Amino acid sequence: MKVFGALLILFSGAAIGWIYGLNLRRREKQLGEFIQFFQWLSTEVQYSALPLPEAYAKIAGRLKGETAGLVECCREFLESAHGMTGDEAWQESINAKRERFSLNEEDWSVLVDFGRTLGNTDREHQVKAITQTTNRLELRQQEAKINADKNERIYRYMGVAAGAIVVLFIY
Amino acid sequence: MEEEGDEIQERYGKRPREILPFLAPRLRRIFEKLTEDWWANLEEIRLRAGKPLQISGSTLAFLTSDGAVSVDPKAGYVVTEDDIYRTIQLIGGNSLYTLEAELKEGFITIPGGHRIGLSGECLSADGRLVRVQKITSLNIRLAKELIGIAHNLMPYLYTKDRLLRTLILSPPQAGKTTLLRDIIRTLSNGEGIGRPIKVGLVDERNEISGAFHGIPQLDIGVSTDLLCGCPKKDGVFLLLRSMGPQVIAMDEIGRPGDIEFVEEILNSGVGFISTAHAWSTQDLAVRPGLRRIWRRALVERVVILSRRLGSGTLEGIWDGQSKEPLCTEAFRLEVKAE
Repeated sequence: MKVFGALLILFSGAAIGWIYGLNLRRREKQLGEFIQFFQWLSTEVQYSALPLPEAYAKIAGRLKGETAGLVECCREFLESAHGMTGDEAWQESINAKRERFSLNEEDWSVLVDFGRTLGNTDREHQVKAITQTTNRLELRQQEAKINADKNERIYRYMGVAAGAIVVLFIY
Repeated sequence: MEEEGDEIQERYGKRPREILPFLAPRLRRIFEKLTEDWWANLEEIRLRAGKPLQISGSTLAFLTSDGAVSVDPKAGYVVTEDDIYRTIQLIGGNSLYTLEAELKEGFITIPGGHRIGLSGECLSADGRLVRVQKITSLNIRLAKELIGIAHNLMPYLYTKDRLLRTLILSPPQAGKTTLLRDIIRTLSNGEGIGRPIKVGLVDERNEISGAFHGIPQLDIGVSTDLLCGCPKKDGVFLLLRSMGPQVIAMDEIGRPGDIEFVEEILNSGVGFISTAHAWSTQDLAVRPGLRRIWRRALVERVVILSRRLGSGTLEGIWDGQSKEPLCTEAFRLEVKAE
């Protein structure tokens, strides 16, 4: 029974460490998905001049992961009868979906800032705003990668170590 | 209430309430309380930042925040910059970058053929207008589609199996575009004239067809080829070359340079119908951009409208060649069923 309990604690510690490590990788991956979204959005705005709801619908179908859900949610807000502006729909979608992401506050502030210009400028300025956001996200993704490379293993080891310490303390 | 709404739809073809989804939520709530009588006569909604909400139909009035109509400007709901911003965002589908040409032209057409005029602070470069940058005033002009309004006029305009070359004159908002649209529809469907006529319509500002993304939102008949958003001169020759129209139709001639190409059409043997801003044949005879048409008897019929008995008052029809009036008793054009 004691052995089983000790194994359970060790496994739980390892799992917590593993989840923390995984979150670091997820953040990097999700930032990559947002970068992909903005690159496709830039193309749709610049070359097709598609209205936002149509552009969102087209891109959401191609995107993977949680980002597709956020973009789809934003499209639904825009097409609802609430009379939301592009910015409001973007902020509301972020509020509705942010729990599903592993992004930090600074990442979200880049995304929130982008919403302020959404749909209310001409094509040239819209593309500039998208490019600027993409550049900022790329920097954040590089930082996320370095952070994940550095800390992913540490979190895993720390999880196992913390489990082992608890086992030693108890027994 | 629903029956009244249906009656309006029957009269106007399109529900004026179509514009509601394009209004900022606060304005929408006010307009939802507007009476059916007002909806039936509504012609324009004017939104000006910091000024009372103005509507015009048979008269000019202001709307209070409760949706009541008042003649006192102080009672009117004061339109905010946010109302205008939200309205323009809704009109532009939250994608103003798709409307660059419209922002340069100063108007946007929405589904249903309703037109929104824009004004405010402009951006210019090298002495030329780039676009309306900060929009502070909107003029929402509701498309009125009066099916059958041309019915009584057709015997004057169509004889010997052809449309006589016709010019419709009126001051602004007297219904000349509405009448032109119904004449085009009547010819194009061949209603009362035995056979459909191929009409080539150059709709420079989408006002006749109410085109949205190139698709006419108002009834312009089954045999009409529409060229929208195209300068009149280029459009006319493109249609003549490519579509073989029997009649060329366009709106609002009279700008410098118009007369040269109009004269070419008038002499080309193709039927012609257009409108112009003028109050009377005397006015037509002295307007620099139009007088040549009158003096050289290039048109065969001149139809004059006014607002004397309300929008769409027919003041008279003149023979453009003999200069004799054919019909001078003023009456209001009404919808006549076939």
